[in-house]
Amino acid sequence: MASATATYGQKESSDQNFDYMFKILIIGNSSVGKTSFLFRYADDSFTPAFVSTVGIDFKVKTIYRNDKRIKLQIWDTAGQERYRTITTAYYRGAMGFILMYDITNEESFNAVQDWSTQIKTYSWDNAQVLLVGNKCDMDDERVVSGDRGRQLSEHLGFEFFEASAKDNINVKQTFERLVDIICEKMSESLDAGDPAVTGAKQGPQLTEQPAPPHQDCAC
Amino acid sequence: MKKAYDQNMEMATNDNDELSVLTPQPFGEWLKMLCASQPQADFWFKSMELDLLILQPESEVFEITDFTTASEWERFVSRVEEMLNDWKLMGNSGGNMSPEKGEYTSGTWEEKSQDINFADFKFYITHHFLKQKYGKDDGKDKLEEDTFPLAMQDLLCMNNDFPPRAHCLVRWYGIREFVVISPGTNCEAIISESKCNLLLSSISISLANSGCQVPVFVQIQQKWRRMYAGECQGPGVRTDFEMVHLRKVPNQYNHLSGLLDIFKSKIGCTLSPLPPVNIAIRFTYILQDWQQYSWPQQPPGRTYRTEDDGGGVSFRTVPTDSCPDCIICGLFALHDEVLFPHIAKSMLVGVDAQHSQLSPPQVPHHRFQRLVLTERPQAQRGSFYCYFFRICICKEIVTSVLSRSTVRSGGKKSMRMSLLLEVKFHNNRPESSCSTAFWNHSLKKPISNTLHQASQGFTEMLTQIPLYLFPDAAVEKSSDNSKDNTAQSNAWGKADQDKNDNNLFLQLKSAPSDSLTYRLALCVCLVNYNHGGLRAVAHLWQEFVLELRYRWENNYLIYGLTGGPPDLRCCLLHQKLQMLNCCIERKRARDEARKFLEGSKERERRVWGGCQNVRPVPESSTAMTVSTSTKEVSPGKSWDSWSDSDDEFFECLSDQGEIEVAHTQGESKAEGRLHPYNNMTLLNSMEPLYVPVTQEPAPMTEDLLEEQSEVLAKLGTSAEGTHLRARMQSACLLSDMESFKAANPGCVLEDFVRWYSPRDYMKEEVADERGNTVLKGELSARMKIPGNMWVEAWETARVTPARRQRRLFDDTKEAEKVLHYLALQKPADLTRHLLPCILHAAILKLKEEESIEDIPSVKQSIKQATCQASKLLQPPNHDYKKLECIQHMLRNEEHAVAVTSDILPSFTVAVKDQVIREARKRVVSDTNGRYVIIIDVKLLAKMLARRLEKVLPTILELETHALRDSAGAVPVEEFKKCLPERIITYLNEQKLGVADGNPPVARLVLGRTTVKKHSPYTKALEDRRFCMLNVERFDLSGAPSTSVTCF
Repeated sequence: MASATATYGQKESSDQNFDYMFKILIIGNSSVGKTSFLFRYADDSFTPAFVSTVGIDFKVKTIYRNDKRIKLQIWDTAGQERYRTITTAYYRGAMGFILMYDITNEESFNAVQDWSTQIKTYSWDNAQVLLVGNKCDMDDERVVSGDRGRQLSEHLGFEFFEASAKDNINVKQTFERLVDIICEKMSESLDAGDPAVTGAKQGPQLTEQPAPPHQDCAC
Repeated sequence: MKKAYDQNMEMATNDNDELSVLTPQPFGEWLKMLCASQPQADFWFKSMELDLLILQPESEVFEITDFTTASEWERFVSRVEEMLNDWKLMGNSGGNMSPEKGEYTSGTWEEKSQDINFADFKFYITHHFLKQKYGKDDGKDKLEEDTFPLAMQDLLCMNNDFPPRAHCLVRWYGIREFVVISPGTNCEAIISESKCNLLLSSISISLANSGCQVPVFVQIQQKWRRMYAGECQGPGVRTDFEMVHLRKVPNQYNHLSGLLDIFKSKIGCTLSPLPPVNIAIRFTYILQDWQQYSWPQQPPGRTYRTEDDGGGVSFRTVPTDSCPDCIICGLFALHDEVLFPHIAKSMLVGVDAQHSQLSPPQVPHHRFQRLVLTERPQAQRGSFYCYFFRICICKEIVTSVLSRSTVRSGGKKSMRMSLLLEVKFHNNRPESSCSTAFWNHSLKKPISNTLHQASQGFTEMLTQIPLYLFPDAAVEKSSDNSKDNTAQSNAWGKADQDKNDNNLFLQLKSAPSDSLTYRLALCVCLVNYNHGGLRAVAHLWQEFVLELRYRWENNYLIYGLTGGPPDLRCCLLHQKLQMLNCCIERKRARDEARKFLEGSKERERRVWGGCQNVRPVPESSTAMTVSTSTKEVSPGKSWDSWSDSDDEFFECLSDQGEIEVAHTQGESKAEGRLHPYNNMTLLNSMEPLYVPVTQEPAPMTEDLLEEQSEVLAKLGTSAEGTHLRARMQSACLLSDMESFKAANPGCVLEDFVRWYSPRDYMKEEVADERGNTVLKGELSARMKIPGNMWVEAWETARVTPARRQRRLFDDTKEAEKVLHYLALQKPADLTRHLLPCILHAAILKLKEEESIEDIPSVKQSIKQATCQASKLLQPPNHDYKKLECIQHMLRNEEHAVAVTSDILPSFTVAVKDQVIREARKRVVSDTNGRYVIIIDVKLLAKMLARRLEKVLPTILELETHALRDSAGAVPVEEFKKCLPERIITYLNEQKLGVADGNPPVARLVLGRTTVKKHSPYTKALEDRRFCMLNVERFDLSGAPSTSVTCF
């Protein structure tokens, strides 16, 4: 489980201006708005049409969270089927995923389950995932209701947001929530998350044994 | 804390030199100071306090309100104080009666624990105390102000030396009440000196503030070292508890006089004559004879818990005179003040007992007190790993190790081993590669010689290694057609894993059990442990790499690896091997295709089916066309040399096979079609839209991937960077476009997008002039951006089917890279690569054994160890210190399992199931993390009988519950009643063994003295030192008391 902790605190020698660096991946079907979403967050800009991502691209943003400077390296992926094998290779090492679908596109929503399986297969065990229904500004073209999104997210165990990169709805919130979840997980696994502790609660505790607490050694 | 700080403030204001304390961060300064020189700091506190007594009235005046936000350190100190308060440990503890003889054994020890935090670091604070029989406060009020704290009195009290069952601190210092602060379950050990000093100063302050006279200890260093530092404060006096731990006993301290020298020097007493020193000594002996059985080494992967070296049973006694049957242990109490300094030199030479007169027959007193069966927990796997770890640190490279081994004839065993390995490796091959021939040639003679000398078992073992690693080699010999058992081998690798295991190897980032990597790890471990250590490992590795090269050059797939691209969840070595397999697979497919092509040329007129029968062609490479490109074959060049040229082409691999061009009418140009796509037709013609045969993206290992993503990341986040990145990654897109163009002559970008990225083709129903609705489509806005990547690529893409394109994945280059990488790995690197696999194997084995025995506590520790290991084994950096701790943990658990599996079966006949279950529950870990089973004494006797009959070696540690309960002394006669006659005889015989010079396994020396220091006005201060000499460790602890009031 706590596999990522080794790199959580890792700092790049070239850039010392942060306390933590989180690698985050945005995935989802093609043209659900991954690149727009990222540009909205990183540059606070919006263009109706970005060139379709080829392979993988990234942006960086440093934020403050709980008195810590956190550098987010956010990787934007190509959504086309053909790029799956290439992009999944990058899943390992990511601490968080934003799994995105387009609320005006049924197919992209149906693919969410698949994407989630991909994450489970290729990522670290403790990677955190957020489900995002993008383009919520286009309510008149909506085909996936918010409830369905929420249900699916509950089913998959992810947190859920509906967002719009165009109208800047929930974009910042999404990323910040993801960062918070990662931080929570991190501190959990650092002090209490170990089965060493949690496990001790489940099973009989050693101290409950009738045995006297002391025992001498072979000396 | 507040108090201390206020005091400090006053100090500062009254003393100009200390003004610095008032600077904005006084505590930072403090901490630095404390870390730098703890004792001085303490002293400073003390004297400060004295001064403050005088200044007390003024204290209200200097109310400092600025420091309401306490530092973490302050908070910690006050928390410790709180705990001391809660447990009512404040104030004077002195004046209690000194404990009665044997009270530590007969009394009940209790403990209370609490969590306590220093910043986010979790500690465990525990109060240990002996439950007193009578009221504690008898006459407490009558005490003088000046009495020593109880602990200091206990230090000198000789009534309770060597309590058999007590916390190690009790045994070392003889104290009856103390507090220990140790790191929490998941926290690291306190290893750095400054951290340790910081803790000690915290304690100092807490003790001073609370006036607590109970000693407080801090556990430092790794847990298994059992190192404690502590302090006790009394009125005008303090005792420091300090300790040294070494893994080996330094020579000069191997005998009593050496120890006395330290003792004297530590007292620092200039007075002469020296005051008398009390010495008490205890030896522990172990029955050696049980171990005279060699245990054959079993092949790796199966059980290898059998051997344990030097294990046995030890009995301990305390002085009485009636134990002729006491087998092993002599406990000598030389409470003789005359002993020192007048003790005869000859007596002092050997605390190592062999030459001294302190031998069992001369023991003044024996009393059978209790029975302890101890074990030497050298469980074999433990030492396996231990040795393995040693290699990890070694820096030598393979060749230098090997050259050394050839030069030296001393390492005969390893030489033989390496030679045999070669023979075995190479004999298994149907044909010899170049390098093999060389080896065989140059080494043939010595082989035949050594073969004769080699013991049968040894040779057999070695024969198994290559076969174990490459089981297909044997198959190859018989059928000579192992090329097709890739599928089998892969299936084999997969089928063997159950779900749990699957999860485990992912957690540890090792490799699937039974994969080649995993087996290699076991072999390396075994070879290292049993057959010549480092050199053997180097040899095995060299041969292994040679074998891989051979397989690459001859197109034999590597056996026992799951197919497909490297599994990034496995360890890097495993990925590299998988990568190599990918290369071999592709090369093989290509070669087969060419051979096939050539064949078909030769027999142009023959029927298709006939061709296929000539040569078994793997299914995957049937995708071929008759149409030959001019470039493809240049006769005369061997197949192998093909890949060297720069213009290499991709041979399509697809399961479906390509639809023959011949079948399509008209468009004879079309090449590389896979299948029609969803009944679509091209936009500009009625031709169906075909999915082309495409190149597979290049497989990547994690290091390559990292390299690549680093390159991509370095381009920065600017628009140009983004564009450049896209361009760098466009090779795959371009290749796909070219294939598409080849498969669909006359196509346009829209067609490509419809297949490749359907959502970028917008369809709209539009009414045409006649009013009919027509489906009209166009590219999405983003595809229409002028000069965008896709358009650009489309324009540059030529019409080329996949098989004639440049390869996206250059298998030759990649394979060479992998082989080169492997060849460069030092033995140390190799072991590092394989470490996860070894831990994986160890955990699996433990789990398996545990599942039979079903011990809850072990189950948990395994979980814990697994979890910690999985944390530590994640790249980038392996912390070998911590991994070693895991190794210790695993060893402990192995031991626990062994205890149960060895002992419990002995009961099955005699005792009901219920008892067994009961006993299982009672496998508990003690404070030192070791396991014991508590069993009734009568059962024990029965068991002993059974065991001795079987004369099995023991890996066990038993604590006899009943013995302990009966006030520390079981009459020997009673115990003897439980034992069969012949066992008693056996035990009696063993006693001779002791006299014959069996060294004691553990030696304990206690020394104490009272010295008047400084001046006659000061009180006499005590010093007690404890020394434990053991086979594995040397502990020296001391508790000198010093006066804090100077005259």
